[in-house]
Amino acid sequence: MTAALFVQALFAGLTNGFVYALVGLGIAVIFKGSRTVNVVQGEFVVIGALVVVGLLDAAGLPYPVAALAGIVGGLLLGSFTEVAFIRPLIRRRAGEDALLLVSIGLAVAMSAAVLYVAGRGSYLLPAVGGNAVVNLAGATVRVHALFLIASGAALVLGLAWFFRHTMLGLSMMAAAMEPDGATVTGIDTERMRTLTFALGGALGAAAGILVAPLTEVNYQMGLALTLKGFAAAVLGGLANPLGAVAGGILIAMVEAFGIVFIASGYKNVFAMSVLILVMVLLPNGLLGRRARAGG
Amino acid sequence: MPAPCSLLSTRRAALAAMVALATAVPLAAPVELVDRLTFAAIYGVAGLGVGLLLGQCGILNLAQAVFYGIGAYASAYGCVELGWPPVAGILAGMAVSGALAGLIGWPTLRLNGYFLALATLALCIAGGELFFEWDWLTGGSYGIGGIPALDFAIVRFDKPEKFYYLAWGVLALALVLARNLIASRDGLAAQAMRDAPDAAAVLSIDMHALKVKMFVLSAMLGALAGSLFAHYVSFVSVQSFGVERSILFLLVPVLGGARALSGIIIGALFVALVPEVLSAFGEIHHVLFGLALVAVVILCPEGLAGLWTRLRGARRPARRPAPVTTAKEVEHVA
Repeated sequence: MTAALFVQALFAGLTNGFVYALVGLGIAVIFKGSRTVNVVQGEFVVIGALVVVGLLDAAGLPYPVAALAGIVGGLLLGSFTEVAFIRPLIRRRAGEDALLLVSIGLAVAMSAAVLYVAGRGSYLLPAVGGNAVVNLAGATVRVHALFLIASGAALVLGLAWFFRHTMLGLSMMAAAMEPDGATVTGIDTERMRTLTFALGGALGAAAGILVAPLTEVNYQMGLALTLKGFAAAVLGGLANPLGAVAGGILIAMVEAFGIVFIASGYKNVFAMSVLILVMVLLPNGLLGRRARAGG
Repeated sequence: MPAPCSLLSTRRAALAAMVALATAVPLAAPVELVDRLTFAAIYGVAGLGVGLLLGQCGILNLAQAVFYGIGAYASAYGCVELGWPPVAGILAGMAVSGALAGLIGWPTLRLNGYFLALATLALCIAGGELFFEWDWLTGGSYGIGGIPALDFAIVRFDKPEKFYYLAWGVLALALVLARNLIASRDGLAAQAMRDAPDAAAVLSIDMHALKVKMFVLSAMLGALAGSLFAHYVSFVSVQSFGVERSILFLLVPVLGGARALSGIIIGALFVALVPEVLSAFGEIHHVLFGLALVAVVILCPEGLAGLWTRLRGARRPARRPAPVTTAKEVEHVA
């Protein structure tokens, strides 16, 4: 094991880890706000990135404007998903399995819609710093990978601050944890749930915009991203959004070190074995304290 | 009492009509329809496994594609590479799947709800990758071809219409067995565990052992379906055993109605026929299938079988029986 190889695997793990963490963060935020496991989260990532690709190519907008439009697109898609599909089910007090199934159906439909609109091709976005690389302890790391890690960390910290210190964030948490009590104090719980989905959609789109310069985005990758994000969120304790970061990094590290030091073909076998092991040994997740919500 | 008798006779008449119709299909229908209906029966067997776990224990099994794959590869490898008779391959697949389900179910079935769903999903992803990597056993993406037709000495299922009868016969048999299981002591205990876990625990039902038992049974049904698939299409490759296939099997009980066994048939027909009908709309048909699924879940909460009951105006049983009643039932059997 050379030091350079070790650092290389470490950065690969950290980069993928933040991607999984951002997807997991979206899943955890939506789960916290609505008790729905949102299988569509991976599609938010793909659609967010593709909207930016479209705006850059077709409309020729400057990159920051296109990126902002992509995030707004994710936000609108998230809100629409809640209002059109989740709200009728929750009003009827449908079970968790019904919510999960609607979400699966939507993921199938959205992935097929992406195939219909964007075709089977794969798309890249321009990277921050172009193709520039940095040499860190003998390992080559792309500047955009560092940008992704920094942006991911900033988003996570911003979100933690939002949920703990802003009126809106606290209201969203209250509406999710104690809907009846929140209604009594004048919180519009339905609106809060829509906002939760909007936030999840925006986070998904942001993840897509950050990852699309490193990995090509195509219509097929939504479900795979959802699964990794879900795994990250569950590892961290599904109702604790910050846990998703720890979970995402752990899964990506196991993958990265497994690929470098054992065999590249068994990437998912390593990650999924770790997931099952952690779930059995630490049923509250990596950062969990009390009994798991949703279990 | 006249009412139950007439209900019973109506049911029997409907059942007889359905059996007659199903028997006549290969004689009159085009071969493409017979083919799709054979797939419906195969999906029905795998979906019944998922439905028993979901409907009776409230457990979401997303690993059914792996057990389906084990059944298919056991039949393929056994017959093609080892020269086994087809029955040996089927039994080997069921045995391996059952053993694996027990081994993996023992630790993971202590988890609940979504976490269990994720554990089975993780198993499905890892399993799909292993099928691909172990190409000495599975042929990887090249697959294994030339799987012989099912042969039971007296009769050889080498024509599509013959296989149609076999597949629906297996599904009918599996449904009858499932019906008996639900009415058995274990079945009642599983329902009690689903509806009133605390009461079930008080009555000393070993919930964990019961869940593992049901999971093993579910996996064996998946493997049986996989073997049927392998012998029917005579070629298997990793493409048939991914997460999408697990979702398809989950849709069978959910669309049809997880709590009624008749729902399995309706759900299986839906997943086998609807995409085929929608494919007439060209590339957009996957979008339509996804939306059709969403519409069914939103508009018919108890599946298509529940919708049928509602249309007939019959009084439906309560979605969840009161815990007290269930506890009494358990007391009765325990």
